Amino acid sequence: MIRALNILLAVTSVCALVGVYALKYSVEDTAAQKSSLQRQIDRQQADLSLLKADWAFLNQPANVAPVVTRHIADLHLQPQTQDQFGTFSILPMRLKAPDTNALDSLFQSLNSGVDPIQQIIEESN
Amino acid sequence: MVALDADADSLPIAFEGARKTRGGLTRARIRWVIVVLTLMFLTVAGRLIQLGTVVQDTSIEGRARDLITATRPAILDRNGLELAVDIRVPSLFAEPRSIIDVDEAANGIHSVLPDLNVDWLRGKLAGDKGFVWIKRELTPAIEDKIMALGIPGLDFLTESKRFYPGGNEASHILGAVNIDNQGISGMEKAIDNDDVALLQQVGLARGNDLSPVYLSVDLRVQHVMHDVLADAITRYQAADASGIMMDIKTGEILGLVSLPDYDPNDPVTALQKDAFNRITAGIYELGSTMKSVTIAGALDSGKVKITDTFDARFGVTFGRFTITDFHGKNRILTLPEVYKFSSNVGAIHIMQQWGKENFRAFLHKMHFDEPEPLELPEKRDPVVPKTFSDIVAATSAFGHGLSVSPVAMLRAMGAFANDGVMVKPTLYKTSEEDAAKTYEQVVSPATSAEMRYLMRLNATEGSGSRMNMLANGYRAGGKTGTAEKVVKGRYDTGHVLALFASVFPLDKPRYAMMILVDDPHTEPGQGGHTAGWNAGEATGRIISQVAPMLGISPDFDPMLDQNLVPPQLH
Repeated sequence: MIRALNILLAVTSVCALVGVYALKYSVEDTAAQKSSLQRQIDRQQADLSLLKADWAFLNQPANVAPVVTRHIADLHLQPQTQDQFGTFSILPMRLKAPDTNALDSLFQSLNSGVDPIQQIIEESN
Repeated sequence: MVALDADADSLPIAFEGARKTRGGLTRARIRWVIVVLTLMFLTVAGRLIQLGTVVQDTSIEGRARDLITATRPAILDRNGLELAVDIRVPSLFAEPRSIIDVDEAANGIHSVLPDLNVDWLRGKLAGDKGFVWIKRELTPAIEDKIMALGIPGLDFLTESKRFYPGGNEASHILGAVNIDNQGISGMEKAIDNDDVALLQQVGLARGNDLSPVYLSVDLRVQHVMHDVLADAITRYQAADASGIMMDIKTGEILGLVSLPDYDPNDPVTALQKDAFNRITAGIYELGSTMKSVTIAGALDSGKVKITDTFDARFGVTFGRFTITDFHGKNRILTLPEVYKFSSNVGAIHIMQQWGKENFRAFLHKMHFDEPEPLELPEKRDPVVPKTFSDIVAATSAFGHGLSVSPVAMLRAMGAFANDGVMVKPTLYKTSEEDAAKTYEQVVSPATSAEMRYLMRLNATEGSGSRMNMLANGYRAGGKTGTAEKVVKGRYDTGHVLALFASVFPLDKPRYAMMILVDDPHTEPGQGGHTAGWNAGEATGRIISQVAPMLGISPDFDPMLDQNLVPPQLH
């Protein structure tokens, strides 16, 4: 009886020993994985911060303006002036409806063989 | 013998058996074993307690590790463009007590970082210290090279380094940080004073958790101002130039430039001579721009009317001094003419008709005798006499004898154009509702309408015409000022500070600007060195470039100017 119990206990403790060591190693493994991931994240965040800084630098007016100045001659650039601004309100409005009478007389004269536009061109020559 | 026998009788002689003797011995042995084992376990327990109470020293040269790796919030302009960002960089440190071969380590580091002295390195690496910095803020490439050397006792710590992508452009607004990422000047310091220092202290400021800080600055406006003012320095051979622009509805500062400036990426350059912030840390005699204040206050009191005339035929004499006009007209001037021709004599008469005590009280109301309220830590107290004598009041009426910050004049000009409502300037992005809480009514809307007319008149006919020519269509107006500088204790007509205080567009006033050009000379082929020729032109150039960015389109309608004329003058 006692002998059976002892054997059982011995087997149990050997199993526990193996289990604990396996657990220990797997935890160590996971920890290593975690820290390597952490390092990778840190590294990527550092790279990202550098790229963002790079973009911010390239996007600055202080950086863009000299590029523009360098190409003024090649691209025929000119500073804008006040008289180049306009608004929609200065454009003439479209006619509300087409002038049907004028169109009718145009088609009639075309049908009768007279082209008023051609006449205008000939007169101006 | 009897006694002896009696004793022998009372104590019976007893012998213990061998088994019992052995049993007693075993018990004693077991007791000893228990004592020894208890002692051993107590030792182990004691050691455990000792280990448990040991405080791990994570500090680096006496400062918490968290503080060194702490990050700062990004600083963005009002449109979200980066003004200051954190970049993560590796810093090399050594643990001398775990370095085995000092010479090998020193030579190894020297091979990667040749600018470090080998003897200096040897001195650092020898010894029994737990932590020494070797070199901070390196690049990832160097980190890889040093790791490849495989020297034990060397390691890297990722630090945050401040980077200013714009370089010089917004240096005086941003300020700078020290190597431990603490703000030492400008908004960096102001932000620290507000809350970041506290966050870093409790260890919360790490990673990318901090939300960015939005400033009121518009980087495009800032760039244009920087550009035009740098051009003004060369064009007019000036000593220095500075300027500030404000949204008069919200008090937001859109641009603040002071030249010469410095590169905040290299904070040492901030210590160079003359690199201080002229706008907030400088106080100046603002010259004729002060006439705006004198006239606005006088008109608002009701004691002076816009239709009044003033005798500018003769100078005003105080004892030994006689004050005359620079552009002498030597005739009787109307009030708009006093402003337009910038008549000192006229301004003195206006002030006298109003009363010097009232003038001094009005300056207090306009906060001219207080430091300017911007968040930047660099400021200086203005010099305004507590009470005005007759002569100080007279000179103050045209801007001499009192020194104030350009920001005070900027606020005043904004208020005079904005229906008399003065706003508190700020460098943080703000909404109009929040800004409305700081509104102060300093003059009446009627006075403001008259001031808008005067400002515009000065641009169309007066000393601001050079400005108006360049900024044509943007309805800008303002007042020039040419203040003689004190050289060796005397006012020197050859050395002046040229100023232009402006507001645009005057039909719907929105932006106020102050431009200062120090010690300008006549541009070759041009007319003069007074403010209209330099500060005025610079103002015109800035307005013509920034107005379209700010959504103001040019309008040449003559009715706009006509509408500004007060009904009394029709």
